[in-house]
Amino acid sequence: MRITAPQWTLPAAMLCAAASGLPEVTNSDLLNDEVIASDWLNYHGGYSGQRHSLLDQIDRGNASSMRLEWVFQEKISEKFETTPLVHDGVMYITVPPGDVYALDAATGARLWRYSRRLPPKLIACCGLVNRGLAIAGDRLFMATLDAYTIALDRKTGRLLWETELIDYSLGYSGTHAPLVVKDMVMVGTAGGEYGIRGFIDAFDIETGERRWRFYTVPGPGEFGHDTWAGDSWKTGGASVWITPSYDPKLDMVYWGIGNPGPDWNGDVRLGDNLYSDSVVALEADTGKRKWHFQFTPHDVHDWDATQVMVLLDSEYRGEVRRLLVTANRNGFLYLLDRATGEFLKATQFVKQTWAVGISEEGRPIRRPGMEPSAEGVEVFPAVAGGTNWMSPAYNPDTGLLYVSCREGSAMYYKGETEYRPGTRYWGSMFINEPTMHNWFGAVRAFDPVSGERIWEHRLFQPAWAGLLSTAGKLVFAGTSDGFFKALDAESGNELWRINLGARVQASPMTYLGGGRQMVAVASGGALFVFGLPQGRAN
Amino acid sequence: MQSMRCFALLLALPVLLAGARTHESNPMNSAEDFQEGKRLYRIHCGNCHGMQGDTGRGARLARKSYVHGNTDAELFDIVEGGIPGTDMPGLWLEEDDVWRILLFVRTFAETASKGCDPGNGEAAAGKQIFDTKGSCLACHTVGNTGGRLGPDMSFAGELYTNDQLRRALLEPARDVANRYRTVRVVTADGERVDGAWMNENSYRIYLMDRSENIRSFRKADLVSFEMPSESLMPAYKGLLSAGELEDLLAYLCTLRSPAKEAAQ
Ligand code: HEC
Ligand code: HEC
Repeated sequence: MRITAPQWTLPAAMLCAAASGLPEVTNSDLLNDEVIASDWLNYHGGYSGQRHSLLDQIDRGNASSMRLEWVFQEKISEKFETTPLVHDGVMYITVPPGDVYALDAATGARLWRYSRRLPPKLIACCGLVNRGLAIAGDRLFMATLDAYTIALDRKTGRLLWETELIDYSLGYSGTHAPLVVKDMVMVGTAGGEYGIRGFIDAFDIETGERRWRFYTVPGPGEFGHDTWAGDSWKTGGASVWITPSYDPKLDMVYWGIGNPGPDWNGDVRLGDNLYSDSVVALEADTGKRKWHFQFTPHDVHDWDATQVMVLLDSEYRGEVRRLLVTANRNGFLYLLDRATGEFLKATQFVKQTWAVGISEEGRPIRRPGMEPSAEGVEVFPAVAGGTNWMSPAYNPDTGLLYVSCREGSAMYYKGETEYRPGTRYWGSMFINEPTMHNWFGAVRAFDPVSGERIWEHRLFQPAWAGLLSTAGKLVFAGTSDGFFKALDAESGNELWRINLGARVQASPMTYLGGGRQMVAVASGGALFVFGLPQGRAN
Repeated sequence: MQSMRCFALLLALPVLLAGARTHESNPMNSAEDFQEGKRLYRIHCGNCHGMQGDTGRGARLARKSYVHGNTDAELFDIVEGGIPGTDMPGLWLEEDDVWRILLFVRTFAETASKGCDPGNGEAAAGKQIFDTKGSCLACHTVGNTGGRLGPDMSFAGELYTNDQLRRALLEPARDVANRYRTVRVVTADGERVDGAWMNENSYRIYLMDRSENIRSFRKADLVSFEMPSESLMPAYKGLLSAGELEDLLAYLCTLRSPAKEAAQ
């Protein structure tokens, strides 16, 4: 036992909870996040984006006896999308629109709160949300709705520095959990529905000074600029709102980039519209683009590529390859070589009607007549896509990739749109999903290399909740009808469930609290933490 | 741009609620605002509430008073934030646009107030039909009596126009609100149950059967489970004469809240 924060007045249980990790989060901790099973140091539980934990106290044999450990509640009227971080017995969570709490990870007792003073008229398409924090040293980092990156003292919640990304009133905001790489913290800007020009910034974690910026819409003279007609690049969108993955050996950060703007009317932005709907691999130290791959060139359906990029090494055609796997909103599961960006394979993973298939080079072969129109066109998948920002998970033991799939169609409408700074730039109506009769959800397990579907667990409605995989051979999943459940990672059979009373719209995580495995997930206005009855753990 | 206000901000500053209103009452009033509001309403609301606010799968907006709020500020918050637990989504529009839409929505109330007109029917005869021949009371509550299979009719005179009432009686299947969808199940024992939808999740379906029992079924145990696009309410076309229909409408129009009557 180590007392890590002498100035705190800690509950006794808290001191016992401090079981592992160093008081300061070091670079080596971050590199070993996947292995340091007691903690959860990055949004995905590790740079690889696998959201898999080595904890196995809770397993297929005992999952059915899981019970509630503690609940954190606040007056939260927003979607509660956070993934907590845990280090050294303390849990750090963001609470929308701009709060951060430190809690005793074993008991839920509150330690401190930081509350950001936000301007009255924030601009966010889809709720005043925040998905979480990054941690390094003795600092926490958050991207804010008023488009700042801020650093807090993790022991007191005191603000250490804040750096403005850009003027939020133009439609920019920060919603994703930042990524720390070495001595930098990286944040991309949201706002793809407001005619922004997206970018990614890296800041010095000590001073908050900007190291580099990468524009997700290339400017004049830059590669890809000619994929935007006229001046459309200036309002091209291509936002960033989910935490990237990172390969330390290749020193590349993999960013999923959002939709081009205006969303549903592409007439003003003829061309492929790079790097919208792409994955971009950036060199960590410089922010230079190493490669990119565009899933949906010239998108007119709002199919952001802001799904998690899962990094794994596996045999592909007789050779062990460094792979990147991602289930894209457009309905295809992609397999790329993450060193080169080479397209290897795409498999359809939900019903889709917009493409005949994917070419050898990875370009969609479009089916004619599937673009939005004034009268409306029915297309599968719906606007939210075949999956969305909610995390997939990969279990190296089963070798399976788990994806929360959304089935169903939408009517897509196209309309006129005019750019006015800080206002919607959509090119259609927001509610373009009047028919829900054909909607359902499913947690599906895929062989990430072959794309073959191994099992499916049906859900009544498409979910907005991510998945967590554990070495106990479990997959944890939340649902839109308010359940949180544990599935058998090999069969998809349901082993345990509980009704949380509100839709789950966050991705779960797991850690050791007081030496016992706990599983946390946000739902409604609360964070719920589950464990085994005392004494049941190994 | 970077500011280094180290240690400068205090903890626990009050958070100003983001996306919030800056007005208590509607600041919009020009003809242009109205036209823009109408246009935006068609884009964002028409699908669910009907282009005139009187049809569709959402609540009818062509009424004189609403369930969830009636002040400008309350309506604003409904449109901006949605109604949790219902199909009414938060629209996240710009403040000015919400006010413009509401300027237009307010005109529905005028249509609605002109709407329910007792006409030449006889309310007393209509009440007879409602309570007995039409067996409306078996399914609808008025005041403290009546059934609960269909929506409460206590304030029907405030909620519906003549056209809406006529349509509801003659073609009830045309416009069934989500909460009253018909559910029809067959259990493993061969029991057939139909009733009004109450709730549903991955595992179970909840309904109110025709005897007003709240029933819950495990979907996995059912032999069949459908939600036909029919209403539990019979279509009264041919069941009631034109005169009876007029009497019934006259009666329904008299059903108003006493407080509001007094205030008028
Ligand atoms: C997806 C469908 C949908 C859309 C789009 C929608 N609504 Fe609604 N709305 C509903 C439903 C359903 C209800 C009823 C909620 C309930 O069960 O009480 C409702 C309720 C309301 C109410 C409250 C009525 C009452 O009696 O309290 C108002 C006001 C309203 N909507 C206005 C709007 C406006 C204005 C728009 C467009 C900006 C809009 N709605 C868009 C479905 C929708
Ligand atoms: C067997 C039960 C039943 C009977 C009998 C019945 N109703 Fe209904 N009624 C319902 C149900 C269920 C609904 C809701 C579904 C719908 O809109 O069709 C409804 C809807 C309505 C509505 C529309 C309400 C709305 O918000 O759209 C009106 C008006 C109405 N009934 C009036 C009557 C009258 C008048 C009678 C008698 C002549 C009657 N009902 C008889 C079950 C019944």
